[in-house]
Amino acid sequence: MLPLILKGSALMTDKSSDLVQGTLDMLILKTLALEPMHGWGVAVRIEQISRGVFRVNAGSLFVAFQRLQRAGLIKGEWKATENNRRAKYYTLTEQGRKKLNSETREWERQVAAIARILEAS
Amino acid sequence: MPLLRTIADGLRSLFRQKRVDQELDEELHGFLEMAAEEKMKQGMHREEALRAVRLERGNPEVTKEIVRSAGWESFVETCWQDVRFAGRVLRKSPTFSTVAIVTLALGIGANTAVFGVVNALVLRPLPVERPNELVFLENARYGPGHSFPNYRDLRDRNHVFAGLVGYRIAPMEMETDTGAQRIWGYLATGNYFDILGVRPVLGRFFTQSEDVHPGASPYAVLSYNAWRSRFGADSSIIGKTIRLNRLPYTVMGVAPPDFQGTELFYWPEVWVPMMMQPRIESNPWLDNRNDWNTWVVGRLKPNISLAQAEADLNAIAREMARQYPDVNDGLQFKLAKPGLVGNMIGGPAKAFAFGVLILAALVLLAACTNLASMFTARATDRERDLAVRLAIGAGRGRVVRQVLTEALLLTLVGGGVGYLLAWFLSRVLSRWRAPMDFPVQFNVNPDCHVFLFALAGAVIAGALFGSAPAWRASRTDPNAALRGTSGVWRGGRFALRDLLVVTQVALCFVLVSASFLALRGLQQALQMNLGFQPQHVATAAFDLGLAGYSVERGRSFQQQALQAIQQLPGVQFAAYSNSVPLSIDQSATSVFPADKTDPRPSDSISVAYYQVSPAFFATMGTKLLAGREFTWHDNAESQQVAVVNLAFAKRVLQSDHAVDAVSKRFRGGGLAPFAEVIGVAEDGKYESLTESQQPAVFWSILQFYSSTTMLEVKSSLPATQMVPQIRQAISRLDPELPLYGVGSLEQMLGFAFFPTRTAATALGAFGILAIMLAATGINGLVSYAVSRRTHEIGIRMAIGARPAEVLRLVLGKTAALLAFGSLVGLALALAAGRVISSIVYETRPHDPLVLVCVWIGIALLGLFAAWAPARRALRVDPMVALRYE
Repeated sequence: MLPLILKGSALMTDKSSDLVQGTLDMLILKTLALEPMHGWGVAVRIEQISRGVFRVNAGSLFVAFQRLQRAGLIKGEWKATENNRRAKYYTLTEQGRKKLNSETREWERQVAAIARILEAS
Repeated sequence: MPLLRTIADGLRSLFRQKRVDQELDEELHGFLEMAAEEKMKQGMHREEALRAVRLERGNPEVTKEIVRSAGWESFVETCWQDVRFAGRVLRKSPTFSTVAIVTLALGIGANTAVFGVVNALVLRPLPVERPNELVFLENARYGPGHSFPNYRDLRDRNHVFAGLVGYRIAPMEMETDTGAQRIWGYLATGNYFDILGVRPVLGRFFTQSEDVHPGASPYAVLSYNAWRSRFGADSSIIGKTIRLNRLPYTVMGVAPPDFQGTELFYWPEVWVPMMMQPRIESNPWLDNRNDWNTWVVGRLKPNISLAQAEADLNAIAREMARQYPDVNDGLQFKLAKPGLVGNMIGGPAKAFAFGVLILAALVLLAACTNLASMFTARATDRERDLAVRLAIGAGRGRVVRQVLTEALLLTLVGGGVGYLLAWFLSRVLSRWRAPMDFPVQFNVNPDCHVFLFALAGAVIAGALFGSAPAWRASRTDPNAALRGTSGVWRGGRFALRDLLVVTQVALCFVLVSASFLALRGLQQALQMNLGFQPQHVATAAFDLGLAGYSVERGRSFQQQALQAIQQLPGVQFAAYSNSVPLSIDQSATSVFPADKTDPRPSDSISVAYYQVSPAFFATMGTKLLAGREFTWHDNAESQQVAVVNLAFAKRVLQSDHAVDAVSKRFRGGGLAPFAEVIGVAEDGKYESLTESQQPAVFWSILQFYSSTTMLEVKSSLPATQMVPQIRQAISRLDPELPLYGVGSLEQMLGFAFFPTRTAATALGAFGILAIMLAATGINGLVSYAVSRRTHEIGIRMAIGARPAEVLRLVLGKTAALLAFGSLVGLALALAAGRVISSIVYETRPHDPLVLVCVWIGIALLGLFAAWAPARRALRVDPMVALRYE
């Protein structure tokens, strides 16, 4: 077999509005702040709360899970779902909670600044 | 913490790949199932729902690939894939791989071995405390030596040293179970071990307070090697007595294994306090300001620069010159790195080592160009393979990585083998004792620096020869390659390969001519006039001072020994002297022209001197140009006489012709105000083969007694047969007396020829390497040309080309490249020749014979290397060739 690497970038675009770079992580943290949840749950929750503006595909979501887990912000654990299916539930760690708070504050600060600029014109 | 977790998690993915994959698979599967259930709740069929989910959320296989390649471990994984693939590719062409690995092993091995020597001699600090604070004191006039009173003054008056130690290399006679043996040790001042900061492995070291009164400190410190080899590592040795020069010394301690004193080339067996000098050497000089016998090493105080230290020393030097103008006039100090007797040995040794390192680097460079051209050729053959990969979506970066991985794999394997070779070589070298009486030994065992050097060499070599083909690979046009149009020999395409071949031939030309120049230099050095005929002369030496003989007893013993030797069968002439030219023991003295009435040190002329018996010149085969040899009447009762060489006659006596010098007088020697010249001998070499013509004076040993005695015996028999007879004759006179330096005079000259032989061996080895590289390189080039053009040759033969035309087709370009490369090499060799002639004596940088020989040699080599592939071209069967592809 020849070692090959597929150019993956083309498959990573989300169908609906593209998420601003880095915000997916924050959305996941926010969703998990409410309660521990599995991958599909996180995806549904983000779509519901955003009223369908964001749609998350599996690739982006699982890469984000891996990234957040390695950064120590979330923890994964296998559990049974309400439908008696096995699923990996992700929980926010203490570090993750702190990160979410600081990210949120930073986000609000930036949004407010952008809003002021847009209103000024 | 996140970094640790990232690494741990990545490692888990690498080593538990199956489990991690399963987990991801299960998680993803669950995700898609749940998504499908959602769709099914809205009334879709299961199949339909699953398909919709795949469209919306992404294909699971692709998703897995994305997740897998997101972590750092995927880089490792692809590298590992590359390595395995490279391994398979290289296994498929074993000839190429073997040639490449052997080439690299030789190239990297040679570099590593040479670097190991440089590392040991120049870079590695001495195994003492804070070695960078140590400096070696040099005397601008007398080189490394200082008089002991001067040392004392410096020690007591300076403000810049935490301590100054004085020491001297000294032979002594030690009594062992098998009789007396001459061993080599150090005389060292009491503060020696303290200041150097060395800890004993056993017992303790002598101190300053135990080295105060001459003759009152009979203590000895053994080297670790001596303790093990002579005393069987006996731990109860401390406090026991050993006998040196027939006097008892108490063993105080044992030095650590890595400490061999401050001279890197000299491995002493014993250290004795300096105050014992009069008991160790026959002439006491501790209170003589004009005996420049002490070497001095100092430890600088913290934050004192070399310049500050030199300024302080030279201020003291001016004081000392005022105090003792007769001996210290013009005294001046310089500081040097310790380890190689300052610049006396250090200068040329370092220059030589770096010179050889440059040659070694050239060999590696030649090896790299060689491999680069072979590798490029292979990459061209694999164009189609690369094109396929590019076409199905591999990134160009990835293709480059693959080619580089192949190159690196080769160099790492080659480098590993090379390192082993170098390791083995330096082991042998470290154990090797130069075949002379003096314990010259180097510890060039490789340390981690040498390993890192080899590794760096391998990686750089890989990057060097891998980059050219990688660059070509990255520019592969998949379209053209797959259509097969780029497989045709196109002029422009091969410019890079041509350049590589020219570089390689040029480098080989330089290396081969360098080694030929060196070998020819050695050959000429061996034939040059030394001022004596070493053939058929046997020597044996003994030291009557060490053996406790008084001057009178010594004198009569020397004459008895000579008479006994003269009666041996086959002996033509026999004589004795304090030393012979070109041996390690050389002395110089100051003489003055007779017309200087108030001689000052600045008027003196430094000349080599020997104390010789009658018949010395006849025995040594030194021609007397005028006058006569010494006779038994030139003794203490008669007036002071001397035989001088022609250079002495010219410089000191202002006589251009030997005859004019006879009966002239000069000041020197010290027995009488003047010495009278009774004979003039031909010029010779005294200290080294490379010296310019030095004046030398020979005194009559009957007038100037020397307890160090070297017998020279000229006979019709070979020296090897003479030696046992000489031993017997001496032992009949004194069975206890240890002999050293026993053998032929030619053997003893090994010391003088040592630098030239070393240089010639090293350069010769590089020359052979270069020849091998050139041969494989040219062979590879022609083989490749033939295999690429088999098709074309077939067509040409089918339409009636004659063999000569086919040969021209195949060899034409090779010959042109060879000629051009040789021209470039010739220019480089002319430039390099000057460097080589400064290292190897008697080398003429522009020796036309050598250059022409190399040129012819390279041409013949080229033809020879091209012969096999060219024959293959002639045997091409047009039918087979045309069906090919």
